[in-house]
Amino acid sequence: MSIRAGRALRTAYLVASVAGVAFFALSVTLLGVWPARALDEQTRAMAPEHPLEPTTSERRGRAIYAREGCAYCHSQQIRYLHADLTRFGAPTLAWETRRDTPHLWGTRRIGPDLSRAGGTRSLDWHYAHLFAPRAVVSASVMPGYPSLFDGAPDRPRQGARDLVAYLDALGRARALAGPEGEAHARQGCNCPDDEMAQMAFDTALNAHPGKALRPSQPPPALPAATASDAPRGRELYARHCATCHGATGTGDGPGAHGLLPRPANLAEHAYANERLAQVLWNGVSGSAMSAWRDQSPADLAALSQAVQSLSAPRPEPAVPAHLVALGAAVYTAHCAQCHGEHGDGRGSAADALQVAPASFAQQRLSLPETLRVLREGIPGSPMAPWPSRLNEAEQLAVAHHVRTFSSAIASGAVRP
Amino acid sequence: MSVTFGLIAALQLVAPDVGRDVAWLGWGRVRYAHTQGIMLGWLANAFFAFLYHAVPILTGRPVTSTRLGVWLFALWNFAVMVPGWALVLAGVSQPLEWAEFPLVVDVLVVVSLVLAAVQFLPGFFQRGIESMYVSSWYIIGGLVFTLLSYPMGNLVPELLPGAAGAAISGLWIHDAVGLFVTPMALAIIYFVIPASTGRPVFSHFLSMLGFWLLFFLYPLNGTHHYVFSVIPMAAQLAAIVASTLLGIDVLIVVTNLFLSMRGAGVLPRDPALRFVSTGTVFYVIVSLQGSAQAQMSVNQAVHFTDWVVAHSHMAMLGFASFAAAGGLVHVWQRMADAPYNARAISWAYWLLVTGLVAMAVDLTAAGLVQGQLWTAGAPWIDSVVASRPYWVMRAYVGLVLAAGFIALLVGLATGPRGAGMAVRPARSRDEHDVVSPRLTPATEAP
Repeated sequence: MSIRAGRALRTAYLVASVAGVAFFALSVTLLGVWPARALDEQTRAMAPEHPLEPTTSERRGRAIYAREGCAYCHSQQIRYLHADLTRFGAPTLAWETRRDTPHLWGTRRIGPDLSRAGGTRSLDWHYAHLFAPRAVVSASVMPGYPSLFDGAPDRPRQGARDLVAYLDALGRARALAGPEGEAHARQGCNCPDDEMAQMAFDTALNAHPGKALRPSQPPPALPAATASDAPRGRELYARHCATCHGATGTGDGPGAHGLLPRPANLAEHAYANERLAQVLWNGVSGSAMSAWRDQSPADLAALSQAVQSLSAPRPEPAVPAHLVALGAAVYTAHCAQCHGEHGDGRGSAADALQVAPASFAQQRLSLPETLRVLREGIPGSPMAPWPSRLNEAEQLAVAHHVRTFSSAIASGAVRP
Repeated sequence: MSVTFGLIAALQLVAPDVGRDVAWLGWGRVRYAHTQGIMLGWLANAFFAFLYHAVPILTGRPVTSTRLGVWLFALWNFAVMVPGWALVLAGVSQPLEWAEFPLVVDVLVVVSLVLAAVQFLPGFFQRGIESMYVSSWYIIGGLVFTLLSYPMGNLVPELLPGAAGAAISGLWIHDAVGLFVTPMALAIIYFVIPASTGRPVFSHFLSMLGFWLLFFLYPLNGTHHYVFSVIPMAAQLAAIVASTLLGIDVLIVVTNLFLSMRGAGVLPRDPALRFVSTGTVFYVIVSLQGSAQAQMSVNQAVHFTDWVVAHSHMAMLGFASFAAAGGLVHVWQRMADAPYNARAISWAYWLLVTGLVAMAVDLTAAGLVQGQLWTAGAPWIDSVVASRPYWVMRAYVGLVLAAGFIALLVGLATGPRGAGMAVRPARSRDEHDVVSPRLTPATEAP
């Protein structure tokens, strides 16, 4: 090799080496520093004035989430994509992640995204699920974390409390910023022509299909299920419901432990179609019963049929004539404020209660169970025990009375 | 070569992780240990071991110091790997992909990398860069750039919040593969091919072109892990363009590699060459796949699915581990006192190929099924139920892969001492010549 060629090559390599380092610097600048500045600006422009800060417990819970590698199966990044928006809700904005250090975005979803997990499940559901995931979701592959508990799902240690506090706070800052927060962010975004950016504001904030709702309007009616849907309904019940409600609907499945209020005893209930549609579409707010909006209406109809078939038809006890007037009087005096004058669950106090009062028009509990509820109340709900205020005759009378509201179900709406 | 002991220890510890069950208790921590173990425990140890063979040949001088070598070995294995594993399993970690070892261990990694640079690099500069073979460039590039990117990926996301931290994390995920694992693996492949065939590489010009394009383009790829995110779209698009160009660069590299191997057959007789040629095949597959999955239309369907897991296994196992295994077998063939079990090495090759192909097909299919169910709006749990047969299959495949790694360990730890010398392919030229362009003017770089 000539000396000149050698020098030229050396120069070329030197230039290339400098260029190589320069490209690395370029990558850090272009894809690291510049985006960081842009995101910082965006955060400043779009964040609400006083966003809620995480509590100490939530911060500790976050550390547990990080330590256990939760982010490797649960992303916390909702993409600007239709499939993500309809399943999880509005795309993650920069300001929502401003306290996320180090970030927990994740690149794999074995379980669902958790960016907006807050408020989608009850706390006791979280405890039961963390303690033994498959006791609650039969097909789950999530590892259980019994070490965070003192032997039972209703005895969480500090770690479980912190972790659940963190999970329940995910997405909360933006939810609490409210419509004013959204309007402020949209204004700060200053991006009326950017279709993608607008997706962040034009979609439902939390689209979790299991989030329990209390809408004022009744949900759409389910399609009519036929006898041929029965096997599908039983399969769905076994897969999704039996974990808590039990294989025969008695409300004592493996996931029921620790849930308050306890899962409904489906075998003792006769349900109107509208009630089941309401529960399956919207869940039972204030309880561990989630909504099932991700199922198709046909599947929900089959499921609702399967639930109705869990309660065997039984001869209805006749109402003793001497108790009729007493029952009506007791009901008006003690029950109508919450359960409503017509037993439809729309009493004047109903909206203020954490768990909506039962509508006796849409569900009928067997007489012995009604008496038991009057005796013991429903722990975890506003329904109190009544023996201190009602004597046995009054309890029996009102138990008969509340069952008369559901004459429509008795007249054949329930399929055996 | 004290590093080889570290390699054996790393092999024993890492191979079982390859076959772990998804539903394992403590899955998250085990996964941390798995990926860090593969990258730092297995691959890095194998790379260092190979460098002790290659660097003296490439530079014409011994490495800097034997004592430094002992220190590097001890530091890497007993101050990085053992405490790193212990800490992540004990719950002291950072939740950053390919950066799970806690910061205290990261400091030791950087110290070790500095020691490695001192140990391996001075000889190259003493010899003069104009006559340097491409493997030397890759070794220099890999060690120098990892020193830049490692602190960035491990420390900066601890300081930057949310989306900005994720942007840096994305860069590191790709720099770990692109600026550390890939250069080292290519250094081995470029070294083993001419040394095994006895012919120089097809084109030194193409090899240098491929090298520089790789180092220009790879750092610009990272943001493609967060497409459709809040990270500015311009950065996402830049990364997608760079990912596409990188695919073209890889085509240049592998064209050169395959032309250098022409005549050796699809399954070369020399197991070292067989390992690296298969690694090259996976390199082109995984890189073109990478370019494809960075495109927005593909990304939206496969991101977050097992497709990506299949992709990373093809990269770290198919490409890098095959190159590393080929490199080690190559070195063992040249050590008079090294045990060498040809049968076990042949078994290792077939077990690893079978396992890897099965895993890649299985997880890619799983990813397509998951992506389809998610896009179709099916209930989430349906995608978990549908994945189950694929995951069962993956667990079995993991056993095959573990057996492959054990066979490799057996191949390198048992058998008659010096038996590898006998199976060395007969060569027309000494390997010292073919990896040194100065002595092969016919294929001089321009």
